[in-house]
Amino acid sequence: MFEYVWLIPLFPAIGFVLNGFLGRRLGKGFVSWVGPSAIGLSFLTAIFIFFELIGRPPAERHFEKVIFDWVVSGNFRTVIGYQIDPLSILMALVVTGVSFFIHIYSVGYMHDDPGYPRYFTYLNLFVFMMLNLILANNFLLMFVGWEGVGLCSYLLIGFWFEKDSASNAGKKAFVVNRVGDFGFILGMFLLFTSLGKHGIWTLDFTEVFANANKLDPATVTTITILLFIGACGKSAQIPLYVWLPDAMEGPTPVSSLIHAATMVTAGVYMVARCNVLYSMAPVSMAIVAIVGVATAIYTASIGFCQTDIKKVLAYSTISQLGYMFLGVGVGAYSAGIFHLMTHAFFKGLLFLGAGSVMHALSGELDMRKMGALRKKIPITFWTFFIATLAIAGIPGLSGFFSKDEILWQAFSSSHGHFLLWLVAAVAAGMTAFYMFRALFMTFFGQSRVDPHVAHHIHESPKIMTVPLMILAFLSIVGGYVGVPHVLGGANHVHEFLAPVVGGGAELGKAHAGISLLSQAWASSGEAGGHSAALELLMMVISVVIALIGIGIAYLFYIKNPALPKLLAERWRGLYRLVYNKYYVDELYEILFINSLKSLGTGLWRGFDDFVIDGTVNGIAYLIGWLSGSIRRVQTGLVQNYAFAMILGGVIIAGYYLIRGIFY
Amino acid sequence: MAENIGTLFQWLIFLGVAFISILASLLLVTRKNPIHSALFLVLNFLCVAVLYILLYSQFIAIIQVVVYAGAIVMLIVFVIMLLDLEVELRSGLKFSYTKLIGGFLALFFFLGIFYAVVAKSPTGKIGSSYTSENITNNVKAVGEVLFTQYLFPFEIVSILLVVAMVGAVILSKKRA
Amino acid sequence: MKLPEIDLCLIAPEIIVAAFGFFVLLVDVFFSKRENKAYLGWISLVGIFFAGALAVTQAGSVKSGFEGMFISDGYALFFRITFLIIAFLTVLISMGYTQREGIAFGEYYALILFATLGMMLMAAGTHLVIIFLGLETMSISIYILAGMMREDKRSVEAALKYFLLGAFATGFLLYGIALIYGATGSLYLKDVASYIASKNLLRNPMLLMSLVFLTIGFGFKIASVPFHMWTPDVYEGAPTSITAFMATGVKAAGFSALVRVFFSALPGFRPDWTSIMWLIAVATMTVGNIVAISQSNIKRMLAYSSIAHAGYILVAFVAGNDLGVSGILFYLMAYAFMNIGAFTCVILLGKKGEENTLIRDYAGIGFKYPLLSAAMTIFLLSMAGIPPLGGFMAKFYVFSAAVKEKFYWLAILGVLNSAVSVYYYLRVTVLMYFREPEREITGLQFSPAAVAALVLAVIGTLYMGIFPSNVLSFAQKSIAGLM
Repeated sequence: MFEYVWLIPLFPAIGFVLNGFLGRRLGKGFVSWVGPSAIGLSFLTAIFIFFELIGRPPAERHFEKVIFDWVVSGNFRTVIGYQIDPLSILMALVVTGVSFFIHIYSVGYMHDDPGYPRYFTYLNLFVFMMLNLILANNFLLMFVGWEGVGLCSYLLIGFWFEKDSASNAGKKAFVVNRVGDFGFILGMFLLFTSLGKHGIWTLDFTEVFANANKLDPATVTTITILLFIGACGKSAQIPLYVWLPDAMEGPTPVSSLIHAATMVTAGVYMVARCNVLYSMAPVSMAIVAIVGVATAIYTASIGFCQTDIKKVLAYSTISQLGYMFLGVGVGAYSAGIFHLMTHAFFKGLLFLGAGSVMHALSGELDMRKMGALRKKIPITFWTFFIATLAIAGIPGLSGFFSKDEILWQAFSSSHGHFLLWLVAAVAAGMTAFYMFRALFMTFFGQSRVDPHVAHHIHESPKIMTVPLMILAFLSIVGGYVGVPHVLGGANHVHEFLAPVVGGGAELGKAHAGISLLSQAWASSGEAGGHSAALELLMMVISVVIALIGIGIAYLFYIKNPALPKLLAERWRGLYRLVYNKYYVDELYEILFINSLKSLGTGLWRGFDDFVIDGTVNGIAYLIGWLSGSIRRVQTGLVQNYAFAMILGGVIIAGYYLIRGIFY
Repeated sequence: MAENIGTLFQWLIFLGVAFISILASLLLVTRKNPIHSALFLVLNFLCVAVLYILLYSQFIAIIQVVVYAGAIVMLIVFVIMLLDLEVELRSGLKFSYTKLIGGFLALFFFLGIFYAVVAKSPTGKIGSSYTSENITNNVKAVGEVLFTQYLFPFEIVSILLVVAMVGAVILSKKRA
Repeated sequence: MKLPEIDLCLIAPEIIVAAFGFFVLLVDVFFSKRENKAYLGWISLVGIFFAGALAVTQAGSVKSGFEGMFISDGYALFFRITFLIIAFLTVLISMGYTQREGIAFGEYYALILFATLGMMLMAAGTHLVIIFLGLETMSISIYILAGMMREDKRSVEAALKYFLLGAFATGFLLYGIALIYGATGSLYLKDVASYIASKNLLRNPMLLMSLVFLTIGFGFKIASVPFHMWTPDVYEGAPTSITAFMATGVKAAGFSALVRVFFSALPGFRPDWTSIMWLIAVATMTVGNIVAISQSNIKRMLAYSSIAHAGYILVAFVAGNDLGVSGILFYLMAYAFMNIGAFTCVILLGKKGEENTLIRDYAGIGFKYPLLSAAMTIFLLSMAGIPPLGGFMAKFYVFSAAVKEKFYWLAILGVLNSAVSVYYYLRVTVLMYFREPEREITGLQFSPAAVAALVLAVIGTLYMGIFPSNVLSFAQKSIAGLM
């Protein structure tokens, strides 16, 4: 079965081609079958491969399939090849699985859209690219996938391109991602050339990681920071997070699939994949962890005041991604990936739930115009409720196990620190608050729905609610594959991923002595030696914090709905600051966009007009003139042609003979 | 003594024939009447044939006379007569810069080749050298080589000739 | 007197091609109706296919025969396959075209087969006489093919010009061969090389002059500056299918002989020829690209572009390392697909009495003939060197070979030239998609065979762009014994 790993990306590619070329001609029925079943088939393949992988002893859980040589140049050779190991297959399962349900959901959600075939074409292409990203066995192919998902994201954000805001959001995402990609490319080239100095011209993961110890620490640090810049762009971390909230202009299933469950987690995956490199660069790890935790709390605070349900979810996604980076940043790669997985379930579900709400309310997004919907759309409510519980970290649901693992690792790992834990725990409380705020505002209290919308509120069709229910189920049980030891679980995820990320973690311990965090803050010197009691205590504390968050939300939005307004009046400045997302967009506007614009205008006026245009026009004129005059030599007379030949011959002969005589 | 006289005689023949050959070439390109040019071409070919004989290559000498002087010039003369090139005749020879530069180029080329061939003696030593039998039985020698060592090129030439014939037919036949 | 060893298996592909050529000539008599002449095309296709299959069975073995005059090695194999592909595609695009233009003679296909035979001999000959005879067989066939349209003045003019200048160039080539014989006493490439090395004849002026003459002779066939001037006139005048054949086949054959002769017989002269070829490469690229810009006829434009491509290939020739020489082979194969493809589009856009070969005529066809335009776009972009198409990989290998040998300026000039070339290739594409048609082009008839050729060319172009390493590793294996 391993030999057939290429089937996993092949099916979406076939789907892409069929939908792209025949979709418009063969109609919706055809597209509705081809789109989801392409993903379903690759999901099935991934499941088969997964079980075969589990059947093997952990040490042998690695397989590479070279499809063909891609770029061969001298002693450098890059292949199109896929690799199966616990990390990639887990990602493949998550991606194909969640994609499959979201595809099915989309059949219902997008049903009346005129761009239906186009939508599924892009979506299939996206899955294909994403699978290339995660299954690639070398950096170059990974980069192709990386760029490819970026392209699809751009296309899908701007799916309704006739809306200005949508196409602008698409552009914004594209530009911000380019900044990140630039870092990624630089990192890749630096890696390539610095390994090349040791005579190893390769971008193959296995070879790179096997030879990583040849690199000096400064180089590795630079490489990993550059790669992390790429991850910041793709996974929307500070300071490149600004595109993701705007990306909600795309269709909701797209937000769910690309901007919550899969694509935005690519950065986390990349860091986990390069764990060997990161573990060699404690400074980079510290940066990853700090950026992650800062993003987590910062965007959670923005989530407090948003009124657009999808924006709330967007900021929550960024915040959760921050958790994942915190996890991988403290060397708990498996915890980060575990959270990635559970997050894919519950955040995907939240977005689909929001989509279902929108469906019921004829596209309404403003939570101030919702309320009391729980009776009217019960399935949506219950599934949304489960997801909210999961993200808030209520014990027993998937989010609890994964988030808690990260929190514990942030505290106890050799790269961790008490402050990291503290900030993350507070952010967890904030998450609980704003998520329940969204839940309460949407489903409880008084109905504030527009009267002319209110009379035709309806539950979504089965094709949409069934995926909701499946994802809700996964949001509950998904965590039980990683129950920590302290709770009597086996932490299967950790064990499963150990062959891939274990090496990095081990290496990390070796380098932990020079860890930036331990050195700078010199707190828990006895890192790693914590007792089970302490772990349980931490767990209880984080649950309590989450409950406090929920309690406040209950107080504000159910018990005493006037209170938030009062508070907002009281601290108006702060409220407006947060409401306006700390004016970061405006700041960027002034700092980068305006200054670039004026610089651009200036350059255009001064430099461009006179120098570039002058030169270009000059060159164009010169070439045109040359072209014309050489053409005039083309007289059509055979004598002249022969003459040119003789002239050439004489010149060559003169050169050879003179050279022959004088040398 | 007799040998010396023979060598001297050969030398004299060479000088005379070479001189006539060059003269014929010059007249060939300067005559206004194309028929005259064609006749000087024949003369030139005949001189070259004599030069081949001096080099003990009787076979090529005969080919030179039969094919070039005989067949090809005959064709040229026919064409000239059929086309009636009066206009060309009257246009005559005029001076032009192209011709001047062309002349210089030709001169340069000539000097280059002259230097290449004369300044350093030929060095070829691999090929089969002349034997007395080769000299006296030149045609046989050529035939032998042609049907043994050069059998394959010989066959290719046959295809080449077919192609040329097909070309002649197809370019001149009436449209169906 | 001993008879030479005759190993017919060695030349089996050549025999098949020649035999089918004669067969076509013979059965031509029985297909007297013009409509039936297409059958001769199918017969030719069968022959080409058989020859290709036979050539492939010889893969892997290196065998020399006929007194060491002919070799069947990897290099010969690669070029045999290239030529046979070219011939195959040419016959496919010819079947409808010859009917349309009234040149559907049986001799047409026979001559294509004979020309292919000549090319194959050029690539496989290890004796200068074989190479010369191959070149002549090819050239004479093509002189005739170029002049097939006797009612069209331009066709006749093209044939005559090509013939006169070709004979002129052949004279030089023959003179060069004679000087080599004079200096070394042998025409076997290997013997020449070893004699030169053993007697240290690197400063021998006779050999240097022969180098000049060979450069002129082969330079004419590959259309390099300043021996290129016939190209636009001949390409424009000749029947379009033959133009495609010339631009790809003759060029590839010229390169095959050039590389074989220079690298196996005259390797010692590399320092001499490198600087001259450097200059010729730069001049060829530049002249080709710059003049192509101001062309208004697409056949002329493609002619100049074909000159420019010869320049790119010469860049690899100058580099002369393994990557460079295999890059030449790769380039020629990729060029065969994209160029024949482009000419196929040119053919398909024309009809009887209305050739539509002005670039203006391409305005607005993008939406009228979407598939044809898409194919044309692929070929043009490939020639411009845009990934992921065959032309891009070809240029990539060529330029990286130059960089590897530290010919930085050459690579830079090459890349600049490619940038210039994008202009005129894209102009056609822009016209096709973003301009209103000046006049309606209607009633085009797409011959199925030509469409098949188009599809094959698209597949080839894409395949070489996306899976380049298969062909490249084949090319790398092919040059194993050469250098």
